Parts: sequence; C-alpha cells; structure tokens
Amino acid sequence: MTPRLYAFLVDWIIRLFLMYAAWMAAAVMGGIGIAFALILLFALEWLYPVVFELTPSGATPGKRTFRLKVVMDNGLPVTAAASVTRNVLRVADFLPFVYGVAIVSVLLRRDCKRLGDIAAGTIVVYDRGAVSPPLIAGVDPIAPAVPLAPEDQAAVIAFAARAPRLTAERLDELAALAAPASGDAGRSGPDVTRRVLGVAQWVLGRR
Amino acid sequence: MMTPLRFEQTYEDDWTELEALLAGAVARKGWRSAEATPVSGARIAALYRRACEHLALARARCYPAHITDRLERMTTDAHQLIYHRREFGIARLRHMAAVEFPAAVRAHASYVAVAAATFLLPTIVVAILVYRHPDMILSVVDSETAATFESMYAKSADSIGRARAASTDWMMFGYYIRHNIGVAFQCFAAGLFAGCGSLFFLAYNGAFSGALAGYLVERGLSSTFFSFVATHSAFELTAIVLSGAAGLRVGQSLLAPGPLTRPQALVQATRDSAILLYGVTGMLLVAAGIEAFWSSASWLPSAVKYGVAAVCWTAVASYFVLQGRHAS
Repeated sequence: MTPRLYAFLVDWIIRLFLMYAAWMAAAVMGGIGIAFALILLFALEWLYPVVFELTPSGATPGKRTFRLKVVMDNGLPVTAAASVTRNVLRVADFLPFVYGVAIVSVLLRRDCKRLGDIAAGTIVVYDRGAVSPPLIAGVDPIAPAVPLAPEDQAAVIAFAARAPRLTAERLDELAALAAPASGDAGRSGPDVTRRVLGVAQWVLGRR
Repeated sequence: MMTPLRFEQTYEDDWTELEALLAGAVARKGWRSAEATPVSGARIAALYRRACEHLALARARCYPAHITDRLERMTTDAHQLIYHRREFGIARLRHMAAVEFPAAVRAHASYVAVAAATFLLPTIVVAILVYRHPDMILSVVDSETAATFESMYAKSADSIGRARAASTDWMMFGYYIRHNIGVAFQCFAAGLFAGCGSLFFLAYNGAFSGALAGYLVERGLSSTFFSFVATHSAFELTAIVLSGAAGLRVGQSLLAPGPLTRPQALVQATRDSAILLYGVTGMLLVAAGIEAFWSSASWLPSAVKYGVAAVCWTAVASYFVLQGRHAS
C-alpha cells in the first residue's frame, strides 16, 4: 500500500504544479485564459489518470516512479472503459473523508483493491524488478550428502543468490539451517557455509 | 539429468529470440513507424506457447527464481501483446455515437424511467411549494444567494444566468464543463452505494432546480429564466438523468446480482454503463457550449430561443428513440 500512497502524492504534486502554472497564465490572459484553466482543471481531475493508464506503460507518472501499473484482472492491458470506470468511481472511494472508503477497502482485501478497482475489474500490480541469477565465485561444487527434494534444491539456490547481500555472520546462521544438505548437520561456521554454497553450485548444474 | 543450468542452456536461443521479438514489437508500437522491420506474429505465438510450457516445467521442478522470473516476464509481455484490444479511433467514436450510445440508453430504459421520475418529482413539487410560499427558498439557499439568482435572471441583465457581468462567455464555458460533468460523474459514482447515492443526487439536483424555477417565476422573471434554460436543458437534464440511470444500474447489480456473484455482477454493470458515461460526457460538452454562448445571449428574442429549444428537445428525443435501431 505504501508505494501506492507515494505514487498518489507524486501525481497530486504534478497536478498541483500544472494547475498553478495554468492559473498564472490565466491571470495574464483574462477570460479565455480562465476558460482554459477551468477546462484544464476538469481534465486534471478526471482525465489525467485515464490518459496515462491507457499508454503502453499502464501507469500515471507517480505510479511509474514506484513501479506500479494498472492491469485488468486477467493480466491484460487496462481497457478504456475500465480505466474510465475506476477513475470516475474515485468519487465513491474518496468518501467519507479523504479516501476513507478506499483505505478501508485496500487494507481489508488481500488483493488491495479499492472500490473502483473492484467495479472495473482492474488491479494495481507491483513490478519487483528482475531477479538476478546467483553468482557464486570461487566455490567448488559438492554433491549433496542426502537426496534433496525440489523445494529444498530451490531453497539452497535462493540462499546462494542472497549471499552477496548478507553479512558473513547472518550467512553462517542461515547456512547452519541448511547444513544437513552438505552432511554437516549440527555444525556451523565459514567452512559449513562454503560447503552449503558448494551444494548450491552442484544443484544448479555445475559439476 | 536436467539441471537448472542445462535447462537454461538448452532453451536459451528460444528465449532470447522471443525477448528480442517482444522488445521490437513494443518499440514499434511506441514509435508508430511504418519502416520498422515487420514482426512475425506466427513466430511470436509459437515461441510464446513454448515459453509457457517451459514456465510450467520450471515451476513444477522448483527451478531457481531467476529462471521462473525470466519466463514469467516474457510470457506476461507476450500475453499482453497478443491479447491487447485496440478500441480507439474515429471509426469507433462514430460507431459509439451512431449506434452504441442510443442503443445502450434503450437497453436501460427502465433505469432511465426511474431516474427521470426521481429527478422530476422533486423538481415539480418543490417548484410549486416555492411558488406558493416564496419564503421557502430560504430553506434551500441563504438570502444573499436568492438575491443573486434574482439579479442573474433580471430582465435588464446583459448576459442571463451569470452572477457577475464581467464573466465572459468563454469563462462560463469552462465553468459549465467542469461543474456539470463533475455533477454527472458524482451521480453515477454514488450508485456504488446500492444505488441510494444516485437517487439522492438526482432528487437533490431536481429539488434545487425546482426551487430556483419556482422562486424566479414567483418574482415575475419567468420569461428570462425559461428562455435561458429551455435549449441547453435538452442536453443537460437528459445527461444528468442518464448518469443517474447508469448509477442505478450499478446499484441494482449489488442489490440483485441474479445468477452472478456480486463482484461479477458489479463488473458486468460498470462495463455496460461505461458507454452511457461516454455519451453523457459528450452531451454535457454540447450543453456547456449552448449554455455559455447561446442561452445567455439576452439580445436574442425569446421566440427564437423557444423555437431552437423545441428543435433540440425533438432531436434529443428522436435520437434516443430512433438512432441506430437497424444497425447490427
């Protein structure tokens, strides 16, 4: 939910800035300037999210900043009708005070949908970013001491993938949990860690 | 034995090719350039199916996250590219105005009837009440606003329907667009509360218009007031009633979802009523133009205005009754 809140604030600031610029221009131009400012205000209120959601990125600038995008429930790009619906229904989500209904709905639902999303059949998804393959340098592959179930193999490889981002102490702690895989059950320390990483090498397919 | 590394090496060529094709297709769509190399749809489809198979295998065998993640990414991208629906363009807009919108209004006739009644009954009742007892206007607005109304529709006013003589036609055009379309969207969105919100806003707007009409008629300003509202109301009031009707459709899907679950019925209802929203927006743009540039002109004789108003009401009514009946 937090990225959604930040994304909303970014969009809100962008719109506020545009509106401010429009009113400055209107003050200089007079009648027709005010007409344009009012129409721009309308467009920023209602059309701003729709226009951006229908671009290939499927996200407003704020959402794009925080790697969010709006898609249909079935994963397809959001349709024009759905985008209009979810944004017009913002009015209902806004009640009874600044997004009260929306906040309750987002907090209660596992899929974090506000009313507009439920009614339009859309969902806001989060892009985690690509997962990088495990880089294990300078460790010789070791055959596992016991046969490893597929889930256990995946866990050992995921551990190896996280290794560069962990401190040595934490790495040893986690390796101790996987120690039976390298036949070191009950022991821990840098040597055990090296051997568990070696098992990860072997499971990945380096022989 | 098929290890994760061998799995990757075996299918690497397929995956790289699919990723390159997808990147090419997306770039082509972004730039809309005709000279870019054509992308083979059949090739993408074949590679997409193969990648789906690989993803299923990788998941079943619990292969490491970077492999399943890469496959998930390329299958999602391909899925979005292959099943993307194009629904914009002038042709689609024309079809919407010529067939879909009036047909959707006819399909929702019962909702429109309820919405019209909810709007008109308070209008008439409150108008009669305020006409009989002019003091009652003060229970709707304060005395200053009432005085403003009177000056807005005074016979001596340069432009009818404006609080300040300094406001230009263009300024009012912008104001009407923002205000009226906002009201219509509100009428629709409030339908999400089991339709009660739509009923409330319809009745509220009706009562307000009724109070204004009753008060001004009692003050002897009926000729300026009715010649002002007659023309644009054909579009404006109809549009408000239609947005309320769309809201009622949404509310009804929650109260009586029929054979569907409530969320399914809701999605179905908003999908059906989206076309009404497009139409309502179009009608209110027309109404804003008329209200700002035509209705407000005090130099036009009332007879001309009433004549044009009659034409507009007939046009709107026959549009909804007749237009697009024989199209598929």
